[in-house]
Amino acid sequence: MSYIENAEQLTGPFGEALARGELTVQKCNSCGELIMYPKYRCPSCFGNDLDWCAVSGRGQLLTYTVLRFGAPSSFDVEPPYAIGVVRLDEGPQLTGRLHAGADGTWDHYRCDEPVVFEPADAAEVAQRPAAWFAAPRGS
Amino acid sequence: MSNMPYPQPGSASDAAFIGIGEIPSGKYPKRGFMAQLVEAAARAIQDSGLQHTDIDQLVLIPNLHGIPDQADLIFSRVAEELGLHGRVKSSMMVHSGGSTSDNATRAAAGLVASGQARNVLVVQSEKWGSADLTEMVDMLSVNGIPREWEGTSGLQFNAIGGLITQRYMHQSGSTPEEMASVCVALREWARLNPNAMWKDKELTVEQVLASKLVSDPIRAIECPYLADGAAAFVMTSATEARRNHDSWVRIGGSGGCVSHYSSGQDAELGELGWPKAAVEAYDAAGWGPQDADLAEVYDSYSAVLTIALEGLGLSKKGEAARDFHAKRFSPGGEFPVNTNGGLLSAGHTGVGGGMALLVEAVRQLLHRAEPERQVAGAERCIVGGSGGSYMDAQIMMLERVEK
Repeated sequence: MSYIENAEQLTGPFGEALARGELTVQKCNSCGELIMYPKYRCPSCFGNDLDWCAVSGRGQLLTYTVLRFGAPSSFDVEPPYAIGVVRLDEGPQLTGRLHAGADGTWDHYRCDEPVVFEPADAAEVAQRPAAWFAAPRGS
Repeated sequence: MSNMPYPQPGSASDAAFIGIGEIPSGKYPKRGFMAQLVEAAARAIQDSGLQHTDIDQLVLIPNLHGIPDQADLIFSRVAEELGLHGRVKSSMMVHSGGSTSDNATRAAAGLVASGQARNVLVVQSEKWGSADLTEMVDMLSVNGIPREWEGTSGLQFNAIGGLITQRYMHQSGSTPEEMASVCVALREWARLNPNAMWKDKELTVEQVLASKLVSDPIRAIECPYLADGAAAFVMTSATEARRNHDSWVRIGGSGGCVSHYSSGQDAELGELGWPKAAVEAYDAAGWGPQDADLAEVYDSYSAVLTIALEGLGLSKKGEAARDFHAKRFSPGGEFPVNTNGGLLSAGHTGVGGGMALLVEAVRQLLHRAEPERQVAGAERCIVGGSGGSYMDAQIMMLERVEK
């Protein structure tokens, strides 16, 4: 029986989708559970028939922060930058980056308000494969 | 998970704290790691009324400042340093980050209860205060944070504090001033503790709010200061304790909940595992928040403490920060919380932060705290710990026993 054998197999498809400008989550083919962060076994039915599926990219900002000092040296980004935890409309939640608004700040974000997936440019995704979110346009 | 029956109070399987030891926390670059550890151990053994040769089991709490010192712990250096080689049955390490002290208590009590050990020394030493700050920031950005999923967003520990605080303030409607008053209350306690890092420095809400933003909404003074320190305690059975002591401290019950590994995966970042763990702990102990005389609860950020106090039922939901602002938990207030000054004002000694709180709980229940901060007639204390990215909520219900 085949199984996911290492971290590259587990995480690779997420980064590949981001590089295509898509947000995906893991899906259990046995019970239909959507899983994020992906696992070697389905946390619900414990099966190992696991796949990936695209999600809408719409969600709710559970919380966020703007880090202003002390970025990890390996991260190689000058602060400030913003990090948010997003619960997707489909259920799973994940940590990602938040785009600054037109004024260059993150002052417009609020907990429990809607956010949408808005991919970073290809170079950024290649270096740091993270999901980026923004406030919905017109909001 | 329902609790197994707890040991009969006073029985040979009822574990008893009989001694504690601690050295001052802060920046002490000249104090060596092992020198600190041996001194804390010696103080705890002396406090317990035992001879060092009475210790037959070592439970070690790891340091986080570096692997070589941790390897010394793993490979029994402490047995030799304490003159216990050839005498102790075993030397082991227990590790769950900030909740280690609670889990080490579980381990030590279990060893006593099952007859595996007679007198257990639990000891911890940390050199965070003197370590290289950039190295420590990097260490705290890699360890305990999912590299593949959250490292790619630049997460580190102050940012986790920011995420939790933002969520808590949103849910509770607490103001920055109310959050800052948590730090002020802890500082007031620290001023009464000769072992606290910030015992000599007053703090006001205005000073907290004037400090720079580090990870919104957390400001610099709301981040814990990395410190050097060491603490220890000795556990035995109630039957042994009875021989030489008029009073000791027992575990009335415990509760625990591991709610996540990744901070981005907790469904309730404003609650964490506390409500679930509290139900279990209070059921096991047969007493609850209304019966406690004080509490010692993990506080590496203000919101970490307010969330815990609400989950423990020591504050109404959403009211803990306002309770701090109203001085309810300050010296002279209605209910003493973190009487050593907590991690935020006694110093964050890595895994030792929880250890310092636990040791303070035992000290208070043994009535051995300095008179200025001793809670008069303290009999019951709720101890709360949390590790990693607040991955778990661990509760120990401690009770004073008199012969």
